Amino acid sequence: MNFLHPARAALAAAALLLTALPASAGPGRLLAAQCAQCHGTNGAGPGFESIAGKSASSLFHELLDMKYRPVEGIMDRQARGYTDEQLRLIADYLATQPGNGGD
Amino acid sequence: MNTLNRRQFLKLAGALSALAAVPRAVGAATTAPRVVVVGGGFGGATLAKYVRLWGGNVQVTLVDANPSHVSCILSNLVVTGGLSMNRITLGFDSLKTKYGIAVLQGRALAIDAPGNTLTVSTATGNRILPYDHLVLSPGIDFAPAAGNWNPNLTPHAWQAGPQTTLLKNQLASMGVADTFVMTVPKAPYRCPPGPYERACVVADYLKRKGRTGAKVVVLDANPGITAEPEAFSYAFNVTYGGMIEYVPNAVVQSVDSATRSIVTSARTVNKAKVLNYIPNQRAGAIAAGLPVNGSGFVPVDPLTYGVAGYPNIHVIGDACAVPASDGKAVPKSGHMANSEAKVCADAIVRSFSGQAPDTNIATSSACFSPITNKTASWLSANFIYGDIFDATGNVKGKGMHRVDTGEAAHNMIDGDSYQDMFTWADSLFADSFN
Repeated sequence: MNFLHPARAALAAAALLLTALPASAGPGRLLAAQCAQCHGTNGAGPGFESIAGKSASSLFHELLDMKYRPVEGIMDRQARGYTDEQLRLIADYLATQPGNGGD
Repeated sequence: MNTLNRRQFLKLAGALSALAAVPRAVGAATTAPRVVVVGGGFGGATLAKYVRLWGGNVQVTLVDANPSHVSCILSNLVVTGGLSMNRITLGFDSLKTKYGIAVLQGRALAIDAPGNTLTVSTATGNRILPYDHLVLSPGIDFAPAAGNWNPNLTPHAWQAGPQTTLLKNQLASMGVADTFVMTVPKAPYRCPPGPYERACVVADYLKRKGRTGAKVVVLDANPGITAEPEAFSYAFNVTYGGMIEYVPNAVVQSVDSATRSIVTSARTVNKAKVLNYIPNQRAGAIAAGLPVNGSGFVPVDPLTYGVAGYPNIHVIGDACAVPASDGKAVPKSGHMANSEAKVCADAIVRSFSGQAPDTNIATSSACFSPITNKTASWLSANFIYGDIFDATGNVKGKGMHRVDTGEAAHNMIDGDSYQDMFTWADSLFADSFN
């Protein structure tokens, strides 16, 4: 698979010139999209606890707490599925998203 | 493909220099990139939605044979009459109106890979769709055993819809001492806990409806329970002890749907009241024209879901085979298909602006399985991109390594989990289709 062959690069250059670019992807956007299956797109529900728009540090510490405590439920398992640094990126991204009824 | 690329490159480079001076509506190369998606299940719907969410000016066309998708998730509760078919029918309206996705009802017939087009058979004739990226999310196809198999007589109900209704009606017709026989396909198959969940809810239904002498026979082609072994062993031995009979190593040899009879390496059953034969599985037909592995699934690059030798064709969901550590396969599930779709969508969107795919990626699956009509268990599995390992612990390459998995402990199989099952399903439905 080669996403960077010359034809693509030329297409990409054309796109840069001619179309409005989407908002740039923060480094946590794709990782945080893994939360959406249970917490809604961009963490804004419907689903389990609302996770969008909370402070990054409180989200990060909640995730770390779930990752390292004995398993009490499914979310404690899911938190074990990421490195600490990935959890930080997820928290940073979700903190920038408008929550349910927020914004 | 090198000469072709060079030619394309030269053509594009020429177009590009011309385009710098003209408005965007004029030149052919100014049109938005085109992504065509085959299959409107959890993988395809999510892919279409997230390419539009993240990709800005991209034309997305979603092709599905049906006017809406019927979810396999929760469909065992339609079999028992607990939920209506409407409850698991997911429309494409939001994808059209909220995300501007073109939805084409039709059957994908053929891929012209060198020409970058897909031919779709529709009610009004064949349509040829040009694409810059083609994403296949066709789900599973069946590899039936020898004999006379007719799914209209012995439903699999492993693709939800009319099959679900047929199995529901057959279950309802069971008498007080009849036998329900079902098979568990050889792994890998769609939804690892699904067959065991079905055995449980069928037994629960028969119990609640006073069919006290009825039996459920589970013929498993695998050497043991492939998912949530603790929860399902307990359910089979205790909750439904004497009612569910579990037979491992039962490799199906022949099936006769007319007499609802089945021969396996461990057990032969003649004239079951209901024969729920769930065949072994392989990639959906449209993907099966691509290179497949020994199990009939399409190996993919874990960073892009691209197929080797086909630089702009991707396969996601149940049809693909993701490189993983030995004994730690990526499960085939709706939740995982949604997860993979986002990785694929991100890689495609990046490619349009010349960026390499992200390597800091993770995928996940989670699910809840009803054990009775009031309790459910759960299963969780998480994967991170990086080294993957063979059975002896040596690095065998790069892929999605399973970093964690676990099932609900016995004290977590309860009514709260049963309610959580609906919260999970509705959230997954919405993230994929709304």
